[in-house]
Amino acid sequence: MNKINVNMIVNGEVVSILVEPNARLLDTLRDNLELTGTKEGCGVGECGACTVIVDGEAVNSCMILAASMEGKVIETIEGLGGDNGELHILQEKFIEHSALQCGFCTPGLVMSAKAFLDVNDKPTREEIKTAISGNLCRCTGYSQIVDAIEDAAKDYYVYDVCRVKK
Amino acid sequence: MFKYDYLRPASVKEACELLALHGDSAKVIAGGTDLMVQIRDEDKKWANIKYIIDIGHLKEMKYIKEDGDSICIGALSSHTDIVKSKILQKYAPFFCEASSTVGSPQIRNMGTIGGSIGNASPASDPVPPLIALDAEVKVVGTSGERTVLLKSIFANSYKTTLKVDEIITEISFKKMPTEAKSVFLKLGRRKALAISRMNVGVIVVVDSMGFVSDVRIAPGCIFAVPDRVKIAEDVLLGKVPTRELLVEAGKKVSEEMINRTGIRPSTEFKKPAIESLTTRALSQALEVE
Ligand SMILES: Cc1cc2nc3c(=O)[nH]c(=O)nc-3n(C[C@H](O)[C@H](O)[C@H](O)COP(=O)(O)OP(=O)(O)OC[C@H]3O[C@@H](n4cnc5c(N)ncnc54)[C@H](O)[C@@H]3O)c2cc1C
Ligand code: FES
Ligand code: FES
Repeated sequence: MNKINVNMIVNGEVVSILVEPNARLLDTLRDNLELTGTKEGCGVGECGACTVIVDGEAVNSCMILAASMEGKVIETIEGLGGDNGELHILQEKFIEHSALQCGFCTPGLVMSAKAFLDVNDKPTREEIKTAISGNLCRCTGYSQIVDAIEDAAKDYYVYDVCRVKK
Repeated sequence: MFKYDYLRPASVKEACELLALHGDSAKVIAGGTDLMVQIRDEDKKWANIKYIIDIGHLKEMKYIKEDGDSICIGALSSHTDIVKSKILQKYAPFFCEASSTVGSPQIRNMGTIGGSIGNASPASDPVPPLIALDAEVKVVGTSGERTVLLKSIFANSYKTTLKVDEIITEISFKKMPTEAKSVFLKLGRRKALAISRMNVGVIVVVDSMGFVSDVRIAPGCIFAVPDRVKIAEDVLLGKVPTRELLVEAGKKVSEEMINRTGIRPSTEFKKPAIESLTTRALSQALEVE
């Protein structure tokens, strides 16, 4: 099987890499780029643990061939923090609201929430619930997660603008 | 794990040529939400797969536009594109509603309408509204293109009538008249057991005298291939709609299901479910209590 050369931007950096034709984006992120924040739960699109953002949209990296990522802009949980280790506002709010227990679902949930808040100014609770409906959490019961995202949404716009300026 | 080569054609034409060259050992991938699961499960359908032909980047098939009295949708439009489309919200709102129920946000961002048709699952959500709209599909192969009724693309559950070198490039339908009402309803969720899945898309037009002048009833999940149910539509056509007639139309849908698929273990559950779902959809569309 011929390997495929893929050029993509991962967390702001250009990555040029040879991938197996049957490698999933999830495999390439975890095994080749050592970005192990992205998790594999079900592997079939049901749990959202593998959620990353591709060209601004939340997707399941377990269902995407790495070879198809030519020219794509990819964001993973590792790309969220600031240069000096500051947490992203969503990460801060998740901690503040105790929106995680074991934490396995958290990277995927944060990425779904980010993709959503990036384009939604004043979301309702219902809209937040829909935005994270593709992410399963076995521990928390979701209400703290929705609280955290709702709280982050209040300051999100200002936060985002300041961050981009820096 | 299945092993295959990855091919990335630069155009629809090149994709068709690759399909013609590799025949049954090749398969196109769009959003991958069906194919990646089937390959992972080593579905025997794909046992001789040697090539995956990626069409997901062919932007020439990603559009939603008006063309006179028709709406044309590129096959690579995602469910999210469809849900957000102002044109579709205006002219086929129940199709947007159906697409908004597919999987999860992530699945809707990846999954395409062409893939929903290509997969030919009897349980598809976006397909019944398209059947109710009498949609057509444009199909391109190495020997040119043809436009056929969407209905004729389905051969059986999970089987299409597409030739080996053919790709669906566009779905189109006539705009509904402004006075038409459409409703899509769905029972159950995918994550719950498959047996609880069922859906229906209906369109009704009532004339100024209060008579039903057009009615389309397209249930999902109950036939091997999707279809309108004429005997149920005939119950209402030309009549002033009443509660009794809507119940009667629902009964005709389950009658047709049994005619086509016979009595099965699931019939006991499916019969009352599809009857009440159909009646409910019609009563919402016709605003009959
Ligand atoms: C977790 C999960 C939940 C889901 N929930 C739902 C749901 O609630 N409702 C629902 O309806 N569906 C659901 N689906 C199914 C799936 O998302 C849809 O059927 C989807 O639209 C398929 O599109 P795709 O682009 O991902 O297809 P792909 O997987 O890329 O392709 C599917 C098939 O179609 C063929 N194909 C793709 N594009 C074309 C084309 N242009 N021309 C010819 N053949 C083509 C492929 O060769 C393949 O055989 C779900 C899937 C998952 C994984
Ligand atoms: S691992 Fe991808 S959705 Fe579960
Ligand atoms: S915190 Fe354990 S799965 Fe969500």
